[in-house]
Amino acid sequence: MSNMKTLTGEFVSLRPLGVEDAEMTLKWRQSQRAINLNQGAGTLAAQRAWISSRPDSEYNFVIELKDGTPVGMLSLVGVNQVNRHAEPARFLIGEEEACRGFPVAVEAMKLLYEFAFDTLQLVRVHGTIASDNKPMYKWQCYLGMKEEGRLRRHYFINNHFQDAICMGLLEDEYRRISLPRMRALIAAGRSNINKPA
Amino acid sequence: MVPSQEAILAIIFQALTNLNLERDASSQVPLDVDTALFGGASALDSLALVSVISDVEMAVSDAVGEPISLTDDQALSQQVSPFTSVRTLCAYVLQLTHERA
Repeated sequence: MSNMKTLTGEFVSLRPLGVEDAEMTLKWRQSQRAINLNQGAGTLAAQRAWISSRPDSEYNFVIELKDGTPVGMLSLVGVNQVNRHAEPARFLIGEEEACRGFPVAVEAMKLLYEFAFDTLQLVRVHGTIASDNKPMYKWQCYLGMKEEGRLRRHYFINNHFQDAICMGLLEDEYRRISLPRMRALIAAGRSNINKPA
Repeated sequence: MVPSQEAILAIIFQALTNLNLERDASSQVPLDVDTALFGGASALDSLALVSVISDVEMAVSDAVGEPISLTDDQALSQQVSPFTSVRTLCAYVLQLTHERA
C-alpha cells in the first residue's frame, strides 16, 4: 500500500514493511517460533520478491520497540472495502527476548485492530489458526475472537495435516471485549516497570 | 464458595504448568510465589501472560460458579498490577472472590 503510515502506540509502533527488511524477516520466518505458520520464502531473493509484490489489499508491518528495535511482524491482509472485512495475519514475534515483560504483542494487535475498525471502518476481522498452534488459539479467544468453524486437515504444517480453525471478531465484540482486555494488559506493562529504552 | 489461598495458588501453578508444556527446557517458568509474571524481571511476554490469565480466569470461574474477569477496569485501577508476580495475582484473585462472596 503506497499510503501506509506508521501506527504509533505507547510501547511499540507498526511501521510499513519494506524490501530492506527481507533478511531480518526471513530469519524470523525460518525460526522455531514460526513452526505453526505457513511455509514462507526459502531464500533472501525470494523474500525480497515476496515483499515487493505485496498487493494493494494488504498492509504489512514490522513491530518496533520505541527505540526502533524491530521485534516482529504483523499484517492486515485481504482488505475488502465492499464487505468491510480483513484478515490479521503473519503475526510473529521474532525477537522473543526483547519482548519479555512488555506488552509488545498485545499492543501491536491493538494498533492493528484500531487501524482495521477505526481507520478503515471495517465491521469484521477474521482468520484461521492451525490446530496445533494452541497458544495462538488461546490468545485470540481471550482477546475476543470467536471460533466460527473448522476446515478439516486443511494445512500440512510440521510434517502432518492440521485443521484450520476459523476465527472471527465483529466490531462490537472488539469494543466490548477486546479493547478493555488489551487496555488492562498494556496497563500491566506500564504500572510497575521501566519502558524499553 | 470462596476458594482458599492455597486453592488459588494451585490454580495459578497449574496455569504456569500448562504454559511450561509449550516452552522448551531453558524457558521454564518456576512454580514459586515470588515468580515475576509481567514486568522488568519477568520471563513472560504478553502472549504467555494471556495464556496464564486465560487459564486462571477459567479455573477460578469454575470454582466460584460465576464468571470472573481479571482484565477489567478494576484490574486497571489497582495500585500494584495484579500481574506483577504469582503473589500479587493470588492476592488479587482472593480479593475478587471475597468481594463476590
